[in-house]
Amino acid sequence: MIDLGVPYSQILLAAEQTLYMVFISLAIGTFIAIVLSVILVLTNPSGILKNTVVYNLVNTGVNIIRSVPFIILMVFILPLTKMIVGTRVGTTAALVPLVIFIAPYLTRLFENSILEVNKGIIEAAQAMGASHFEIVWYFILPEARGSLILSVTTGTIGLIGATAMAGAIGAGGVGDLALTYGYERLNFPLMLFTVIVLIVFVQVIQSVGNYFSAKVRGH
Amino acid sequence: MIKFIDISKTFMVKKQEINALRHVSLDIHDGDIFGVIGFSGAGKSTLLRMVNALETPTEGIVEINGSDINKLSFNELRKVRKDIGMIFQQFNLLESKTVYDNIAIPLVLKRMSKADIEKRVSRLLEFVELSDKKNAYPAQLSGGQKQRVGIARALSTDPSILLCDEATSALDPETTDSILRLLEKINRELNITILIVTHEINVIQRICNQVAVMEQGNVVESGSVLSVFSKPEQGITKRFISTVMPDKIPDSVMEKLKQDIRHYKIIKMRFLGDNVDENVLYFINRHFAAETNMLFASVNELQKAVVGIFILQIIGDDTEIDKITTYISEHNIQWQEVKL
Ligand SMILES: Nc1ncnc2c1ncn2[C@@H]1O[C@H](COP(=O)(O)OP(=O)(O)OP(=O)(O)O)[C@@H](O)[C@H]1O
Ligand SMILES: [Mg+2]
Repeated sequence: MIDLGVPYSQILLAAEQTLYMVFISLAIGTFIAIVLSVILVLTNPSGILKNTVVYNLVNTGVNIIRSVPFIILMVFILPLTKMIVGTRVGTTAALVPLVIFIAPYLTRLFENSILEVNKGIIEAAQAMGASHFEIVWYFILPEARGSLILSVTTGTIGLIGATAMAGAIGAGGVGDLALTYGYERLNFPLMLFTVIVLIVFVQVIQSVGNYFSAKVRGH
Repeated sequence: MIKFIDISKTFMVKKQEINALRHVSLDIHDGDIFGVIGFSGAGKSTLLRMVNALETPTEGIVEINGSDINKLSFNELRKVRKDIGMIFQQFNLLESKTVYDNIAIPLVLKRMSKADIEKRVSRLLEFVELSDKKNAYPAQLSGGQKQRVGIARALSTDPSILLCDEATSALDPETTDSILRLLEKINRELNITILIVTHEINVIQRICNQVAVMEQGNVVESGSVLSVFSKPEQGITKRFISTVMPDKIPDSVMEKLKQDIRHYKIIKMRFLGDNVDENVLYFINRHFAAETNMLFASVNELQKAVVGIFILQIIGDDTEIDKITTYISEHNIQWQEVKL
């Protein structure tokens, strides 16, 4: 085997940390984003629960967070991180900024996915006597599912990029490995290796996303 | 019974008022197949959507079985909506669900048990003749099949009213015919009141018993299909009806008439319902000293009755012509003189 200058166990650990950060923050972020995007679509001026106050509140909040670069966001919310997980550093601490970063991003993507749902279907749902919750649960979300999955895929790939920066607060991960060992110690083979690993991650995620999206679209 | 009482609807678009409906009053009785016809923008969909309160009137009252639909609480309204099926021009099926699941949705919303849903959906699939497409997705179906799914879905909760918004406008003539036959069967066998809005007069002609003609938010003419078709009053009504029941002298015949120097009178006769009796023509030819010449004839079926339109040139002197027209009047046949 090629000598990468660091023990394989360390590489494995870094990969584990990246996956941990990506999937936990993705799970929480997706949940928040679903709720927020549904609120946005329902309360928007042509929505079925038109409400300017709520819409503007969520919309502006999403815009504000979206305009802060991740590295700054991470440092900016350190006190909040400390409050929630008890520490400012480490892999778990990185989850807080990652969630706050990804949730608004996914909210925008989901909002578009949901707006794509044929308005006629919502009208059919209303005509059937569906409640607002039922309209979301039985009509909007199933119809948007294929597109939502693609949005999650895009979000996941964005998250992988963000986790590399999370190294700045000692979160570890593949990106951090490349920076501290590969870049600072001029270990080119290691750097190349991490790049390949990241490319494989992204490719796999994209393929899995495409597969499931096509599958739930049912044809 | 659906009652529209003096309904007006005004939309505000960019500070500009659009009067989609102006003082519309109509009664739709149980068991009717009531057709509303008009050109695009006449306000047909707006009127139809008032029945299940997808649209609320600016003025006026919509009564469903005696109660004002706009006075109900949201939960009461939802219950009434489950008793009103609706189908659409663009079908509005869930692309992500199979035919079976699409039809099952209203039943899922009613919290019906899986076993009962299974039974009902199977029966509905049979009724709309789609049992073999149970597991197909809408994208795999033809337009006509999609509309059948839409119909089965609308019928799943056993409604007493079915609303159809341009239900056949996206379909070819043959498919339209099969969907219309299905709607007729629904009206007859399930005793469901049907309200259809359309811009296709042949839909009205084929299955409706009542018709209202709309123009720019007004109902300009309404009544039984037989009476409106046999005696249209308004210009728009005449135009619609003449496309399915032509009543004009063909151009080539007209050319010849212009060169005819004999003394004659042209009359247009309408034979209504069951008084179509060709013996009248035979009798005229046998018993009057005038020559008759058939310039145009059409016979149309309406509501299982027949409407015949004959344009006759009667050549002879005035006294003889008068005798003939009197004879026609005595036989309860509507006629009017056609001037060239
Ligand atoms: N939600 C709305 N907001 C503003 N204007 C509307 C709205 N819905 C309908 N209108 C207007 O009201 C008028 C009547 O529309 P409606 O859809 O009832 O016509 P229609 O007879 O069904 O026409 P079509 O055959 O094209 O479906 C049109 O001028 C339309 O632009
Ligand atoms: Mg319409």
